[in-house]
Amino acid sequence: MKGATAIIKKEIRSYFCSPIAYVVLGVFLFVMGVIFAKFVDLYHRFNTAQQFGQAQGITLDKLATYLYQNMAFILCFVTPFLTMRLFSEEKRQNTLELLFTAPVREIEIVLGKFFSAYILMLIMLALSSFYVLFMVLWGNPEIKIIGATYLGLALALACYVSLGSLISAMTSSQAIAAVWTFIALLFLWLLQSLGQGITASWGPIQWGPTLVYISPLGHFNSFTEGLIHVKDVVYFLSFTLFTIFLTHRVVESNRWR
Amino acid sequence: MIEVKELTKKYGERLAVDHISFSVKRGEILGFLGQNGAGKSTTMKILTGFMPATSGTASVAGFDVFENPYEVKKRIGYLPENPPIYLELLVSEYLDFVANLRGIPGAQKKQKMDAVIERCQLGEVRNRLIGNLSKGYKQRVGLAQALIHDPEVLILDEPTVGLDPKQVSEARGLIKSLRSERTVIYSTHILSEVAATCDRIIIIDQGRIVSQESINALGATGLTAKTELVVQRSSESVVRAILGVKGVQNVQSLSNGKERIIVESDASEEIMAEIAKVTVASGAGLIRMSPVQLALEDYYLNLISGKRGISI
Repeated sequence: MKGATAIIKKEIRSYFCSPIAYVVLGVFLFVMGVIFAKFVDLYHRFNTAQQFGQAQGITLDKLATYLYQNMAFILCFVTPFLTMRLFSEEKRQNTLELLFTAPVREIEIVLGKFFSAYILMLIMLALSSFYVLFMVLWGNPEIKIIGATYLGLALALACYVSLGSLISAMTSSQAIAAVWTFIALLFLWLLQSLGQGITASWGPIQWGPTLVYISPLGHFNSFTEGLIHVKDVVYFLSFTLFTIFLTHRVVESNRWR
Repeated sequence: MIEVKELTKKYGERLAVDHISFSVKRGEILGFLGQNGAGKSTTMKILTGFMPATSGTASVAGFDVFENPYEVKKRIGYLPENPPIYLELLVSEYLDFVANLRGIPGAQKKQKMDAVIERCQLGEVRNRLIGNLSKGYKQRVGLAQALIHDPEVLILDEPTVGLDPKQVSEARGLIKSLRSERTVIYSTHILSEVAATCDRIIIIDQGRIVSQESINALGATGLTAKTELVVQRSSESVVRAILGVKGVQNVQSLSNGKERIIVESDASEEIMAEIAKVTVASGAGLIRMSPVQLALEDYYLNLISGKRGISI
């Protein structure tokens, strides 16, 4: 796996050599900051209301669920900007020839690309954890729930990044890769509402529940409630592995054409 | 060192490489000559394991390119037509990446990088962004990338395109300096380059090999010899007298300041002596007589236009 580590090192270096990593990190933290400020405001209001015996049952943990659901959604917007260049930039600069004529297996190239973007996303996730610090300092959140939520976020990001790198492997234009990755992620999220809209079963397949199951939203939501189900973990891991497998095939087929 | 047998590559319906067979000995510099789109790059891409062939076999250092690509890739240094460089990296960062990709152990890395930087004269740009370098330097960085792991076989796809004349001669010098330690395949569409650097050339046209000769043998391939005569007075009668010599095929009289006569004939010393004799006898006042080196250009153009023999 020497090739994969070489690629990871180089990719992360490239991210920080261009403004892209800084801009994406900055924008993400800014947007999350705005949402967190709103969250603090809400929490404060509910706290006040509760002193007068209203809004019972609204806890910090319950509010935090909404915060993290927002965050998972915002990451759909952020991911394409980090994954768009993975393969398309190599294609445009004709550097795939370098990778493919080095004694490195294709799967190492694919994994190297995937992990470089994934590591950057995890760094971003780690930076967002200072909101947790605020919550701990001025509230009493359930740390276990937050831990489960972060596990869910990390798993969801693996899915996002794998999808982004698959789409990047299919085009030599970064812009096209970014737009399609965004559309694909958004579509996956909307499957949840789409599935819920279909109540009756059409034919032999229960379409509604199937679509809901395909969407990452429901799987992620159980993490935000502090529930770690094996089926959700399996969903995210199998989604990621399957997409990486597809990316491998696409990258391989690029050379046949 | 390199064996290619009946190699064929189709892009959809288009036949890019058509049953090519050749071999290259260890330490040889092979020139790969052909027009754009003749199939040079495709052949090279197959040899480096970048692209699979439609049919046929290729092996490098005894390893089959299709069955054992890993071993082949370890032994090849490849410079594609467009140097595969990352514009956002420093030269040293880039070479470090390539060294890691090639699995060069950490202990040797520094020494190998220094050696290749020295050899490709990259010392002064070592810590500059590749994106800011001139075309010539970018090409050298590409070459450094191909040399960093001391490959036994070097495959260079048009390494001198876009360089200025000084850089071209430097690049040629560099390639020549690799002779005997490495086997080099080198593609170009510039003929003088082949003559200046290669031991042997393969001319390829429309996916097929049309000629495979050593540079020295090229001069004596049964082609006509050209001789230039410089005389004081050229006239119809002189030309007719020379044409009368047996073995002379064509005579042309040119005058641009000096009177010159270009004679085409079979390449034999007797004929040369005879030409000199009749020229002097005709009273033209022979000043100088010299063989015109058969221009590779003519040879090449004739080959690919499908006829032998020379026209001026």
